[in-house]
Amino acid sequence: MLAGILLALIAGALVSLQNIFNAKVNEHTGSWTTTTLVLGMGFAASLIMGLIMEGKNMFTLQHMQPWYWFSGMIGVGVVICLVQATRILGATYAISIVLTAQLGFALLWDSLGWLGLEKVPFSFNQLIGVLIIVGGILVFKLGGKSDSKDSAGAIERRSALHTD
Amino acid sequence: MKGIIFAFIGGACITLQGVANARISQDIGTWQAATITQFTGFLMALVIALIVRDGKKHGFRKVKPLYLIGGGFAAFVIFSEVTAIQSIGVTLTISALLIAQLCLTFVIDIKGWFGVAKQKMKLPQFIGIGMMILGVVVLKF
Repeated sequence: MLAGILLALIAGALVSLQNIFNAKVNEHTGSWTTTTLVLGMGFAASLIMGLIMEGKNMFTLQHMQPWYWFSGMIGVGVVICLVQATRILGATYAISIVLTAQLGFALLWDSLGWLGLEKVPFSFNQLIGVLIIVGGILVFKLGGKSDSKDSAGAIERRSALHTD
Repeated sequence: MKGIIFAFIGGACITLQGVANARISQDIGTWQAATITQFTGFLMALVIALIVRDGKKHGFRKVKPLYLIGGGFAAFVIFSEVTAIQSIGVTLTISALLIAQLCLTFVIDIKGWFGVAKQKMKLPQFIGIGMMILGVVVLKF
């Protein structure tokens, strides 16, 4: 279990770095040009890592289902939703809702075991835990952090590009 | 209301993406899943970018090379997230992921690393992080 938590923490730290780097790119070009570059880099890195780790096996796709090809488009949907939400609500409120929805759906997914993932039975502890985390996110996000408008803008750009 | 719906669907899709990646990885392998999903996403974004043409000429040249390759982190993000989901479930994975993400962003904001505007830390942010960690403990035990 510890290994799983550690991996999730690493993923989160990388997402944080990636969002900052992507925001730097976005300062000089548009959202879609940035998104194209970001996903292109992700593709190249995944392919290279796959070839290093698995060699020729990288190209044997067993049990490939047609919908697997389309699931990458969810990321494009994420970009559209986040850009629109940020534009309408502002970064702080938009991201608070995004994070809350992320956690809520995570709990829903575990409980229902959709898509054939292993079911994690719903428990009252899980619900309370998620509610406390959501409360923490709201305190963190809405608790008044930024002192200057400039930094709020930077956060906005960064948040708008969370595509992972 | 429209903004709230967009934000809500956006959040749902981020989780869906992690779950779909975990599912696809079971069948074809994790690196393969990362490669395929990033590739189709890339193609679709490229088509949209060619239609809206929001790129500025020479825009990329003004960006430090380090920042341009940030997208490559996705390979490791997907690998770590998928492996975590398979071993500890979606809820705990997303919870830990978000805490690490918010904490590191917070530290970077305070230190002003990577040239981001420095921000002062305030009490609510510490309380918020404390609550999130408490939430994970409650979640698990």
